[in-house]
Order: sequence, then C-alpha cells, then structure tokens
Amino acid sequence: MAAPPEPGEPEERKSLKLLGFLDVENTPCARHSILYGSLGSVVAGFGHFLFTSEIRRSCDVGVGGFILVTLGCWFHCRYNYAKQRIQERIAREEIKKKILYEGTHLDPERKHNGSSSN
Amino acid sequence: MAHAAQVGLQDATSPIMEELITFHDHALMIIFLICFLVLYALFLTLTTKLTNTNISDAQEMETVWTILPAIILVLIALPSLRILYMTDEVNDPSLTIKSIGHQWYWTYEYTDYGGLIFNSYMLPPLFLEPGGLRLLDVDNRVVLPIEAPIRMMITSQDVLHSWAVPTLGLKTDAIPGRLNQTTFTATRPGVYYGQCSEICGANHSFMPIVLELIPLKIFEMGPVFTL
Repeated sequence: MAAPPEPGEPEERKSLKLLGFLDVENTPCARHSILYGSLGSVVAGFGHFLFTSEIRRSCDVGVGGFILVTLGCWFHCRYNYAKQRIQERIAREEIKKKILYEGTHLDPERKHNGSSSN
Repeated sequence: MAHAAQVGLQDATSPIMEELITFHDHALMIIFLICFLVLYALFLTLTTKLTNTNISDAQEMETVWTILPAIILVLIALPSLRILYMTDEVNDPSLTIKSIGHQWYWTYEYTDYGGLIFNSYMLPPLFLEPGGLRLLDVDNRVVLPIEAPIRMMITSQDVLHSWAVPTLGLKTDAIPGRLNQTTFTATRPGVYYGQCSEICGANHSFMPIVLELIPLKIFEMGPVFTL
C-alpha cells in the first residue's frame, strides 16, 4: 500500500513477494535471476527425466538446477549492476565538476588539454 | 518516511544506506534460496515411502552440509564486513552537530558557527498543521546541507536514547556520560523522519527526529540561524 506517486514520478511496480519476503519486482536483478533459474530448473529436471525416467531424482536435479542457475545469474547481474552504478556516479561527478568549473583554471578539460599538448 | 504497513527499507538518502540496501538484497536472495531448499526437503520428507530409521554413516552428505553453510556464511560475511568498516570511515566532516537526548525531546547544538542551541519537541496532534504527520512532525527541525559530510555527536542527559534516521542508515545510541559519533553525507534534499530507538520511558514513542536537508548554497545563506 504505497503512497500514490507524485505527477511526473515513475510509478512503483506492484510488489510480488516470493515466499512472502523476496520482493521480486522492486529488487534489481531478482526477477531476471528467478526467471532464468526457473528456466534452468525446467531444462535440467526435464532433461534428466528424459535420460533416466526417474521422477524423484529429476525433481532433485530440477531444484538443484534452480538454485545454481539463480545464484549464478544473481551474482553476474549484481556485479554488472554495481559496475554500472559506479560508472553512473563517476559520470555524475564529472558533469557536476564540468558545470562548476567550466572556463576557470580548475576546468578538468583545460588541465587535460594542457597536459596532452605538453 | 515510511508509508503505512511498510515492512521494507526506506529509499536511500546516503551512499551508506545504498550499500546497506544492496547488501540486504544480497542476503535476502541467499535466504530465499535456503528457504526454498528447506521447503523442498520438507516436502520430500512428507512424501517419501522410505521408512528405515537405522541409517548411519552418511559421510559425504555430512561433509557437504558442513562445508556448504560455511561457504554461504563467508559469502554473507565479506560484504557485511566491508560495509561495517565503510560506516566507520570519517572523511573530514564540514559540519559538526551535537544531539542530546532528554526525556522526551532532543536538543541540537550548532556550535561550529555561532552558538545555536534549540530543543525539538514532537508536535501534539492538536497543534499539527493540515497535512502534518501525526507523531512525526516536530516544532524545530534539524536543518542540514546536502552533499557535505556531517558529523553528529550524540549523547544523553538522562537515560538511554537512540538517534535514528532510517533513510540515512543511521542509528546511534545516546548514552549518558558518553559521546558517540556518527557521520553521514546526504545525497538529496528533503524532509526525513526518524524516531527514538531505545526505550526511555513513557513518551519514548513521542520524541521523533526530523531532518530538513537543503542545498548547500541555501544553507550557507543562513536560514538555520534565523530562529
């Protein structure tokens, strides 16, 4: 029951909480990891069943596949997300510096051009 | 501030809180997968036809279920320790504010520039302006600049209190006879709320904290000193 969004503000997606606590919609990379995990689980479990015709063992393989694929996608996605956040922060700082110091002796572009011409 | 029935963390207003939210997501995903595995194991236990109760010597399984949890704990502990040490960094604060807990209000001292001292009491519901927040709004807010490292020195004059602002990822105990320090840098302007987080008597729930974070340029013009 979130507060209604202000005009111009992006709407918060409805939260879907797996097992009652993992908010898949609003946690970055969660939806992506769970979906790929489910796909991995189906592929692994069904593939195992096709080869062995053992139902219980195939279910075990499916669950194991879900956990491994979800974890793998999760770490991969979070690593890229963290890299992206760092790049965004650097870009934001550089833009701010540029706006503040453009035309002055502290202008980063002037320093860079000065050092490259030397 | 939190909305009604909110159980999740509030949006971050400081880099430390962003890191805490990231860590929380990481830990929650691990917890979800463990819960999923346990539920599956429970399902298997309830639906198995195997009834032998004299099983022994499962060395491989015992090895796996000893080493795997240790690995999981390391995966959780490493980012946790990283953030723990990050919160202890003191990066040359521009401003120092003292916050003193009393029963049942806060006193704030801006002693860096002049000697501004004021009390911050909760506004009783009868005195709220239309649209005001019940049990959260105060008569005098703490006005601070954004994008500047700020040091808070927190203590108490009587009993234990705790100065907490969830959106900044701050909670520091106010202990009589002791001065605790916390630093933060706010990244966006706005009004942010917190509440006393250590039981301190009858009106423990009625001594909120309200920070009004404004751009540095406006803060330097001196609105906080016009009381």
